[in-house]
Amino acid sequence: MDWLEEELKQALGRKMPPSDFASRVTAAARGRGSCMRVWLAVAAALLLASGGALEYREYRGRVAKERVLLALRITAERLNYIQARAQRPSHRPPNASVEVRQ
Amino acid sequence: MNRRYWLLPLTAILALVLPLAAQQFQFHLEHLAAKASDTVDLSLNGPTLQFAAKFLDSDDPEEAQVKKLLASIEGIYIRSFEFKREGAYSPADLDGIRNQLKSPDWSRIVEVTSAEEGETSEVYVRTENKKVTGVALICAAPKELTVVNIAGPVDLDSLAELSGHFGLPKLKEAKPGKRM
Repeated sequence: MDWLEEELKQALGRKMPPSDFASRVTAAARGRGSCMRVWLAVAAALLLASGGALEYREYRGRVAKERVLLALRITAERLNYIQARAQRPSHRPPNASVEVRQ
Repeated sequence: MNRRYWLLPLTAILALVLPLAAQQFQFHLEHLAAKASDTVDLSLNGPTLQFAAKFLDSDDPEEAQVKKLLASIEGIYIRSFEFKREGAYSPADLDGIRNQLKSPDWSRIVEVTSAEEGETSEVYVRTENKKVTGVALICAAPKELTVVNIAGPVDLDSLAELSGHFGLPKLKEAKPGKRM
């Protein structure tokens, strides 16, 4: 059984790590850290971009709404004026003429 | 010619033509902007109206009314000018518009003229298969000119009902030239 004991001793015996072991472990840990930092930066940028896009969409929506309300205001105002003049002969100036075709 | 070389000019032409497609007649009033003291130039196509409608509050009765109105409208196009002096625009400017608003597509339903005040107001409707598919307004005063085209099946009564809302004067007090 000497050969078996010998093999076990060799297999389970203390071995010194390779000389570059420490530097390899340090490099791997540093790499993982920088990768994480890159992902965090990307996530933050995406978050900011989507927030900005949403804000810009809101702004465009508010502008569009104001423009639509202005357009409707002008149109309704003119329509009402025309209606008022067409329907109220007493309010009509002396030289006014009205023609209504329905 | 390579297909790619066709695509670019075609896209450019479509981009220019498509926004005008919803406008039912041309105003040709750009030259008046330089003479005007106040100009309103609004061109709101269907997608813009629908986008704006998303920002209207359905719980607000006034905004809900506008939202309902916008659902069927395909475009609103307005040119409005106020001038410091009379005679800034010519009858030919108005004729250029009137010539496009001819039957069978268009019919004038209202015309109010005042020789004394030099004002003319006209309402035209565009009909297809007995349905209103567009409205045109021409309001001309000595120092003011407004032309409106609303494209789509618009209900004039609903539009006029907006009177009293959004700072609009009520029917009795309605007067041109007092825009918001």
